[in-house]
Amino acid sequence: MSNEDNLSPHAQGLSLQLSSHFFGDLLDSIIVDVASECHRIARLGLDRNLEEEEEEMRLSAQARLRVADPSNSSEANGKYIVDIFGQNHPSVASEIFECMNCGRSVMAGKFAPHLEKCMGKGRKARLKVTRSSTAAQNRNSRGSPASAYSPYSNSTSSNRLSNGTSSVAGEEYSNGAFEDP
Amino acid sequence: MRGSINRPPTPDAEDDQIQEKQLTFQEIIDIKLIESGEKERLKELLRERLIECGWRDEMKALCRAFAQKKGRDNVTLDDLVQLLTPKGRASVPDSVKAELLQRIRSFLASAAI
Repeated sequence: MSNEDNLSPHAQGLSLQLSSHFFGDLLDSIIVDVASECHRIARLGLDRNLEEEEEEMRLSAQARLRVADPSNSSEANGKYIVDIFGQNHPSVASEIFECMNCGRSVMAGKFAPHLEKCMGKGRKARLKVTRSSTAAQNRNSRGSPASAYSPYSNSTSSNRLSNGTSSVAGEEYSNGAFEDP
Repeated sequence: MRGSINRPPTPDAEDDQIQEKQLTFQEIIDIKLIESGEKERLKELLRERLIECGWRDEMKALCRAFAQKKGRDNVTLDDLVQLLTPKGRASVPDSVKAELLQRIRSFLASAAI
């Protein structure tokens, strides 16, 4: 406050009075701003979401209390685990949907093993008859003692693929060492 | 504290000139505050401090409670101003008020003398 040291007491008093006045001015101005904004929000109903959010927060606070309460079910109860909304879930997800690879109906909880077979990452899937040359290579490495890749081998075994689908035109898959997929 | 500054009438008073009213000291300071931009800066500072300390949230909560009671469509701006003015003035933290007063007095000291 060194710049006021030169002022007479009268001037200092004036300064106090004036600054209070201007502070009040500023504050009133801000009060009107806030009131104006709140008025708008009230008339436009923009705080309806806020009411919902507050309700949600109340519910989740309640739910959290329920979870923290040790008398509620814990993992020791096995199947009946309760989450913070008081719901319990089956241990295997039961929703059914369509596999995007093969189109079959599949249960969510069994989707991963299904995909393994369906997309060829698992052991058995590789033995399925598919159009890919991977299948042809695997087949050849198991059954034919001859060259690794002999698409035109003539064996007497029956040809399982009768629809003529192949990645290389004109190939015949005629190895008899197929297993069922 | 009125009329401490009197301007002598200008010589061409009979021409088409706007009659100047006598400005109070306070009004002159106000003009200086505004013209220098300090008033706007002070208002922003006050606004910021009031947000930081939660004063604004309190005011908004008061308004919401009032609107819920009275009914959204029955609320007037005047209602809210009447509601907030006493409570608003009373609930400004001392530190915020002190900071602003200090800044204003600095300005007064530099501008008025």
